[in-house]
Amino acid sequence: MKSINLKENQFIQFHQKISFKFDGVKYFGYKGDTIASALLRNNISIVGRSFKYHRPRGIYTCGIEEPNALVQIISEYSEPNTRATIKKIYEGMEIESQNRWPSLENDFGSINNLFSPIFTAGFYYKTFMGPHKKFWKNLYEPLIRRAAGLGKPPKDFKGISNHIHHNVDITIIGGGLNGLLAAKSFINSNYDVLLIDFEEQLGGIINNSNKISSIDNKEPKDWLKETIQEIEDSKNIKILKNTLVTTYNYINHLIAIEDRFVGSKPIEGKVNSTLHKIRTGHTILCNGHIERFLSFQNNDLPGIMLSSSFEKYMCRYGLAPSKEPVIFSNNSNSNSLVYSLIKAGLKPKAYIDSRSGEEIEPNLFDLIRKNDVPLYTNSQIKGAFGNKKIEKILVEDSSGALNEIKCDCLCLSGGINPDVHLFTQSKGLLDWDEKDLTYKPSKPFQPTITLGSASGQFNFDNLNSDINEKLKTFKVKKLDVKLELNTNAKYNIEKLWEVSPQKKSLWAKSFIDLQNDVTTKDIRQAITEGFDRIEHLKRYTTNSMGTDQGKISSINALGIVSDLLDKKVNEVGTTIYRPPYAPLSFSAIAGRNCYEFYDPERKSPIHNWHLKNGAIFEDVGQWKRPWYFQINKDESMHDAVQRESKNVRENAGILDGSTLGKIEIKGEDALEFMNLIYTNSFTKMKQGSARYALMLGEDGMVKDDGIICKISDQHFIATTTTGGAATVLGCMEEYAQTEWPNLKVFMNSITEQYATFNISGPKTREIMKKAFPNINFSNEEFPFMTFQFHEFNGVPIRILRASFTGELGYEIYIPSNSAPKIWDNIQSFGKEFGLAPYGTEAMHLLRAEKGYIIVGQDTDGSITPIDLGLSWMIGKSKKDFLGKRSLTRSDTIREDRKQLVGIIPSNKADKLEEGQHIILDKEIKSPVPMLGHITSCYYSSTLGHDFALAVIKNGHSMIGTKAYASTSSMSTTGVDIVKPVFYDADNKRLVS
Amino acid sequence: MLIINCPYCGPRDQSEFSNGGEAHVKRPDGSKEIGDREWGEYVFIRANPKGLFYERWVHTHGCRKWFNCVRDTSTDEILVTYKLDEKKPNLNNFKSVVKTPSGEPEVGSGNFTVEK
Repeated sequence: MKSINLKENQFIQFHQKISFKFDGVKYFGYKGDTIASALLRNNISIVGRSFKYHRPRGIYTCGIEEPNALVQIISEYSEPNTRATIKKIYEGMEIESQNRWPSLENDFGSINNLFSPIFTAGFYYKTFMGPHKKFWKNLYEPLIRRAAGLGKPPKDFKGISNHIHHNVDITIIGGGLNGLLAAKSFINSNYDVLLIDFEEQLGGIINNSNKISSIDNKEPKDWLKETIQEIEDSKNIKILKNTLVTTYNYINHLIAIEDRFVGSKPIEGKVNSTLHKIRTGHTILCNGHIERFLSFQNNDLPGIMLSSSFEKYMCRYGLAPSKEPVIFSNNSNSNSLVYSLIKAGLKPKAYIDSRSGEEIEPNLFDLIRKNDVPLYTNSQIKGAFGNKKIEKILVEDSSGALNEIKCDCLCLSGGINPDVHLFTQSKGLLDWDEKDLTYKPSKPFQPTITLGSASGQFNFDNLNSDINEKLKTFKVKKLDVKLELNTNAKYNIEKLWEVSPQKKSLWAKSFIDLQNDVTTKDIRQAITEGFDRIEHLKRYTTNSMGTDQGKISSINALGIVSDLLDKKVNEVGTTIYRPPYAPLSFSAIAGRNCYEFYDPERKSPIHNWHLKNGAIFEDVGQWKRPWYFQINKDESMHDAVQRESKNVRENAGILDGSTLGKIEIKGEDALEFMNLIYTNSFTKMKQGSARYALMLGEDGMVKDDGIICKISDQHFIATTTTGGAATVLGCMEEYAQTEWPNLKVFMNSITEQYATFNISGPKTREIMKKAFPNINFSNEEFPFMTFQFHEFNGVPIRILRASFTGELGYEIYIPSNSAPKIWDNIQSFGKEFGLAPYGTEAMHLLRAEKGYIIVGQDTDGSITPIDLGLSWMIGKSKKDFLGKRSLTRSDTIREDRKQLVGIIPSNKADKLEEGQHIILDKEIKSPVPMLGHITSCYYSSTLGHDFALAVIKNGHSMIGTKAYASTSSMSTTGVDIVKPVFYDADNKRLVS
Repeated sequence: MLIINCPYCGPRDQSEFSNGGEAHVKRPDGSKEIGDREWGEYVFIRANPKGLFYERWVHTHGCRKWFNCVRDTSTDEILVTYKLDEKKPNLNNFKSVVKTPSGEPEVGSGNFTVEK
């Protein structure tokens, strides 16, 4: 293909040369060129190899519908599958072709073309179902599957994209003639309008073709400039350029992606794309039409392109890809290409039309006659031939004779389709137009208006009345635009989907989907094999499943199928068009919600101290909690946990419990409310006392636990588990509003307002006395499960005597801002008593020694308080509370429910493992009846052996018996089933 | 993505709300004798119709208020929202779009692209 530059062009700056590399070779283009137009300028016809057969492929279109010309942008983190027809070049850009090895010219994979008769529809399904498992590993996966494909994955990079929200009355999608006219009607109206166009320049068909000769008696170019200026000056209209609407969701919610670096290299660290999330009252679709191709033998050869794309290259890029293309058409849309060529001083080598002489428009006829263009009417192209590019075509003329025409370029037009993707995404319904042979928007589901060719109006004669009629619901002025055309105004098409090849051959290929290498033969085969429903056929053949979603070919496939099945096209239907309209990057979707912002990290007020003191952190929900503290880098986790827990038992330890959920409940009816939410009864509880409480779901299962402090009957503070805080508050709010709206009660989260320190160990009282000298910590003055308010250096604090370790313990609640200072104080006072911080792992070990459960670890949503042996916590005299009735359901009073027990290895030296099953037999012989499983398991240096908590069937009555625990090495360990308390069973230390 | 009209805050994005299942399910009075079946139905059984449905929502990332609505489950359209203490609207006041034998709405189900 020998291209020539046309002299003047308003979009291409011929004085500004740009150098770029394609497959390592340096070329030049001009400012404004896309990769495709620059490659065509350099007479490069092959730009990639096809998906399956590795056939050489060229540039087929001039826009977003491109199926073939996908390239890898090396200079942008090796971004694959970029459409060469859209991406603009910039100085120093590096581009590589895809799916070829070792080179584009000589591709090893093209051997697939020889074997192509076996790679037909369903090849993968049939082959990979093969009997030998080894084949998958040695042949299918490494060889066959790898041979197919497009680009390679990009390199690791940190893309930045912003999200912007819009709330407007009207969104106009497409800034072509109709989009501009619609926008013009809204100038200075009371509507907020958003006008979105995919290109850098508004104008659409006015820029891309020579169809229109004048608008309002002005040169189209001049009219365009004036109109855009008027729209830009209007205060109520915002224009988004370089922005592609990819998605049309429910309730007029649109998603559009804006490229921020068109024609220049994206700068690392700068926002390179913006995702627009648009809420709109009405959507006006003016996104135009897409030309479709035709199927005949070798219709994929480089040098074949769509006729309107050829014209777009001429008008938009000042470039004729060939001096003398052959044109093959079945409709009137390619008339303007003939006009454009002749206007540019060029001439088609031949004009071939499947329509008869009478149907061809008279002025096209005159133009062709006047310029001596060879004309073939009633004719079809039987095939295109050439070595890696088109060299000749075979034309069957009206008499049935075959003519060979030598050519370097063939322009195809199989008709035009309204671009219905967005309309169907919005759930609107289509209807087949028997005259124009295409699907047109028919019934909108949302407030959607379609204008111009997007609505199937392929002629311009009703332009004004159509827009005025469809916009009449708005208070806008009526349009009266005078339009004159260079070519015939009436769209005319003759039915033609495919031309069968001259010679029958296993290797003859007429493609129906260029990107996925689907041939018309595959469609026939799929129907023969019974896949005659369009959705099945699509998946079986992979037709229109490429990244282009078959934009230039899917309607052709429907036409072929409807002929084969002898059904109407409306009966065949279309496959469902799903968003996105064109691929958009994950980084754009993620926006700023990535890396450190992906999930917020919550840190306690003491976090910095932990960092400085060797804490290794554990994630609990969003919280960072110290798991254990390393005294030096060599200390193992096991050593650290044993050291910390031993120190709590012998001296004293301090835990940062600030992450525990804290909820304040106030109101006249707070007492009644708390009695309804928790299992316990709070009525007889004294002011200033605290109680361990359980919260159930309505199904009677344990949902959360915590300590409830009763300040008065009208005021409570509840703690929750770290992970359950939001759920518990949500549950309280729900019941307060939905079930008991008569109760006067309010609740609020105070989790982050207060830090919590849990100090426990035999020496705790001494430390507390030193740290808070004004407070009497004696057993009489400050008994177990009571709390007191104090002021310390002007800071209001609350001290609760409670313990999760089984030792004497206090919890101190301090306003977060003052917490670090008091923490430091306690550290320094505690030094002489051996006070050391401990983490969550030591806490887990210590509580397990006492048999205290952790909701979510020892319970799993199927455990009742009775199963846990906590019946004493149920306020049986209460009339009602959450889940009360469920505790007496037939299922919850079953005797063989899983119940909480303790487990110790019969041979104390044996190890236990968390999650392992408890079984009755020593031998593992399947099926093995499983009693239950180990929920928590630790080694205790206090006890000197492993111990565990487990839930097992009928566990309470099995206490004192023996069983076995499975191990990860498929053996068993003999275990004793014991009461779930291993240390200080009579709570002497707790109340000491 | 739906726009939901919170009766307290006005129309807001769906991402601010959480769904709370079927509305107007009365919690049996705990102070009275309740049979296993009645209680079990309250805890476990909910309607799941195709078409008009009374539903509870909560404005989680907003005013945190619970409210009720009528939603067409076949098109996801929320027809009306109302406060908990308001009377539930009569479903006959709304036009259900479920018409076809399979229960698909003629337009809006997303299962068809072509007019039948």
